[in-house]
Amino acid sequence: MSLPTRKTEDWRWSDLSGLDALAAQPANDAAPDLAHYWLDLDGPRLVFVDGRFVESLSDRRGLAVTAVRSAPRHPLGDIAAAKATSGLWLTRSANAAAIGPVQIVHVASGGASHLASRIELAAGAHAEIIETHVGAGWSNVTCTVALAEGARLMRTTRVLKDGGAHTDFTLATVAGAASYTSAALVAGADSARIEARVRLQGTGAFAEADGVLLARGTQTLDAFTLVDHAAPGGTSHQVWRSVADDLATASVAGRVSVARDAQKTDAVQSLKALLLARTATANAKPELEIWADDVKCAHGATVGELNRDALFYLQSRGVDPAGAKALLTRAFLGDALDRIGDEVVRDAVTADAVAWLEAAR
Amino acid sequence: MLEITDLHATVDGKAILNGLTLSVGAGQVHAIMGPNGAGKSTLSYVLAGRAGYEVTGGSVTLDGRDLLALPAHERAAAGLFLGLQYPVEIPGVSNLLFLRTALNAQRKLRGEAEASGAEFMKLIKVEAEGLGLSMDMLKRPVNVGFSGGEKKRNEMVQMAVLRPRVAVLDETDSGLDIDALRVVADGINRMRAPDRATLLITHYQRVLDYVVPDRVHVLVAGRIERSGGPELAHQLEREGYVRVAA
Ligand SMILES: Nc1ncnc2c1ncn2[C@@H]1O[C@H](COP(=O)(O)OP(=O)(O)OP(=O)(O)O)[C@@H](O)[C@H]1O
Ligand SMILES: [Mg+2]
Repeated sequence: MSLPTRKTEDWRWSDLSGLDALAAQPANDAAPDLAHYWLDLDGPRLVFVDGRFVESLSDRRGLAVTAVRSAPRHPLGDIAAAKATSGLWLTRSANAAAIGPVQIVHVASGGASHLASRIELAAGAHAEIIETHVGAGWSNVTCTVALAEGARLMRTTRVLKDGGAHTDFTLATVAGAASYTSAALVAGADSARIEARVRLQGTGAFAEADGVLLARGTQTLDAFTLVDHAAPGGTSHQVWRSVADDLATASVAGRVSVARDAQKTDAVQSLKALLLARTATANAKPELEIWADDVKCAHGATVGELNRDALFYLQSRGVDPAGAKALLTRAFLGDALDRIGDEVVRDAVTADAVAWLEAAR
Repeated sequence: MLEITDLHATVDGKAILNGLTLSVGAGQVHAIMGPNGAGKSTLSYVLAGRAGYEVTGGSVTLDGRDLLALPAHERAAAGLFLGLQYPVEIPGVSNLLFLRTALNAQRKLRGEAEASGAEFMKLIKVEAEGLGLSMDMLKRPVNVGFSGGEKKRNEMVQMAVLRPRVAVLDETDSGLDIDALRVVADGINRMRAPDRATLLITHYQRVLDYVVPDRVHVLVAGRIERSGGPELAHQLEREGYVRVAA
């Protein structure tokens, strides 16, 4: 197995050095308690344990679950393609009966698990998918997304592992007037890399790739999103908020590239990091490659600390220092979390973030 | 009620308060006036317990309790309120969330029952109306996009909801138009009660026409140089600090 090292520019903030050791660890076959990971949404519920679909824990509602033997060419995709035992192959047509949001809980019990999924939405079709990763060990997931004209996909990824590693790669192609929206919350996992490449290849396509990284202890969390505007009139948003405490590292790199004929592109990129301790590390790297001349690209990247005046203001009103810190951090994360369109999902992901903040008190 | 005795404090190693003594009795309003840089805001921060303001001598008690031994949030729960000269903007936190969090944090520290959502809304509605801030504004992030005068009114709304025992108001009257000054002065007067006290830091005699103080103090170079009745404020207005404090 060969994975990139930090010497490769696009991987320089990732810590993949422990993956081989994790993969060698034995799995733990205790039955997981998943009840509190489900959101109150009416739709299929799928459970994968160590990359294998578990029918008895799932409610498929007619969805087919098939091994996907191909994954995008990518260091992580190649491994997934070779080793994945199962995956979700979701195809939807515009006139398919509504199935509701698809929830997937991925349980990793130790060792390594690989999963390759594929989502194909036909013209005008839409789907919503919420994936939650729990457990330990190394989980490697890849997803290929193909959206036809006017299709709409909303994806949410929650990484709530107890430890171990999480690697996640998505390759999405978005046709004209189609919309790809993703939000990620990465809190668990000792190390995580979550990467998405979205190509807007039809006129007026839309992409949103947002997320929050919550790192403490010695966690190394890393997100990398790339939006490739290949056609005119596209809109994209990349809004990331990361928080690093203790000795942790949280890194976000966002890239926007606008092809020569992708005129009237509107791309927004906002990468902000908050250091809760001077010993923590945060990186925020915006990259723009613009070859067209009639485009609007707003971008900003900052690494900062909580505002001392605001902390004092809250304390002077009776809020203890930990409470003041939590309230201001939550407000900071709100820039990304409030963008989640589905209210139930937004509330759940916000609750994940609040639980992470509360755990420090 | 509030007893400040021989208070010395430094900021960044620089001595700002140099033996300040002041006693505000229950039911009283005292005004503090003094030139720019005299240490008025420093006094208010030292009383509130802001990090970076180091007390190097003296004592402060509220109802006999050693205020300086408490962290900032416990001073608030003990009944101290600081109206800031420059109220802070907090993007992403609504005024309602801010104030409800504060009220319930104080109640919890005092061992009282927390206010329910409905109870809190009733409370704030009455006070906001009285001080001319709409509920729409209170749903917005704390002080973001508020005019200078609106920020000061917002401080008064917070004070009215939190009902402190001792309010230290740092230039709450600055930057207010004539109507707002009346509204804010009324807010301060409504808080006047036998078991409360107010320390009003101001540059202008005008507010003292509405909020008539029991005592007026002149703070110069970190100490009280002179004290007197309300007429002292008029004398300061006429003659300036240099002559009066000499
Ligand atoms: N962080 C700091 N480091 C050094 N000096 C400071 C600091 N903060 C305040 N000072 C100084 O302390 C002195 C008192 O400041 P303070 O703000 O208390 O004055 P003030 O009486 O409130 O003035 P004003 O009427 O202008 O509001 C000033 O000389 C100021 O420059
Ligand atoms: Mg001042």
